[in-house]
Amino acid sequence: MTIETVLFSLFSSIALISGLMVIRAKNPIHSVLFLILVFCNVSGLLVLLGVEFFAMIFLVVYVGAIAVLFLFVVMMLNIQIAEMQENVLRYLPVGGMVGLIFLLEIFLVIENDLIPVFQLTDSTAHSALNFEMFVNKIQSIPNIEAIGQILYTHSFYFFILASLILLVAMIGAIVLTMHKTTLVKRQEVFKQNAIDFAKTIHKIRSAQE
Amino acid sequence: MNHFPIHGPFVAFLGLLCLVPPGAVAISWLLAPRTQGAEKRTTYESGIEPVGEAWIQFSVRYYMYALVFVIFDVETMFLYPWAVVFDRVGALALLEVCLFLFILLIGLVYAWRKGALEWL
Repeated sequence: MTIETVLFSLFSSIALISGLMVIRAKNPIHSVLFLILVFCNVSGLLVLLGVEFFAMIFLVVYVGAIAVLFLFVVMMLNIQIAEMQENVLRYLPVGGMVGLIFLLEIFLVIENDLIPVFQLTDSTAHSALNFEMFVNKIQSIPNIEAIGQILYTHSFYFFILASLILLVAMIGAIVLTMHKTTLVKRQEVFKQNAIDFAKTIHKIRSAQE
Repeated sequence: MNHFPIHGPFVAFLGLLCLVPPGAVAISWLLAPRTQGAEKRTTYESGIEPVGEAWIQFSVRYYMYALVFVIFDVETMFLYPWAVVFDRVGALALLEVCLFLFILLIGLVYAWRKGALEWL
């Protein structure tokens, strides 16, 4: 057993277990923390696949930002622990059926010879995921360089489009969450700095007279 | 598998990374004084008596900060490959990146003008 196999088993089993814990945890904060563990292990799996840049993206964007976003969402929902003690077995029939269908679909795509009923004799369907180690066939450069050489030259329209999508997301977030409340006393820097001691005294005296 | 990326510096870095969090916990476990008492078990809230529960509903404004942070995070991830291949992709890529940053700068200016960077 090589070190890759050991690491693969380690990362994938921890990811699966913590994925299960995401939906089984009573406390939603614990769910989000287990989700972070899933992201970390998946980024380890991506390193094993040889896509280091995507592994780092996973760590920076998913763990660093999106998990924090989820934590904020959980904190904003105002859930009490007592409300979460409801019966989870209620959802078992529907959830179990969806899960079973999803599992069958995965088997159908990847290993359809393992399912006796759905065996596809069509060779084209079978070759959809015929693993070919293309990495060994080409001259290998780090994938961040490969992305850079394609992203900024060949497909720079997508690059600009990505910035527009980010702009829309940002403006949307601002529009959705901007509520000016009048309950809070705000600092008005210029007005406060412009107050002159002598004038204030004078104003109060003239108001009293 | 000859494309396996784990080699010298990566393994060294990973090992160091695995040592840091247990090391931090272990050092504080070794050095910190330990006391027991009812006072220690109470919630710390800026030195005053805690009021209410710890689980309160936070303002939705935090969500905006998190989302804006996600967007700028993704923006920097788009710039990393450019930094690596800067000398090969030429001046056109520089223009593209400037356009990219300019479009996102519009968002920042919008946030600033709307007063989203100020608190409430």
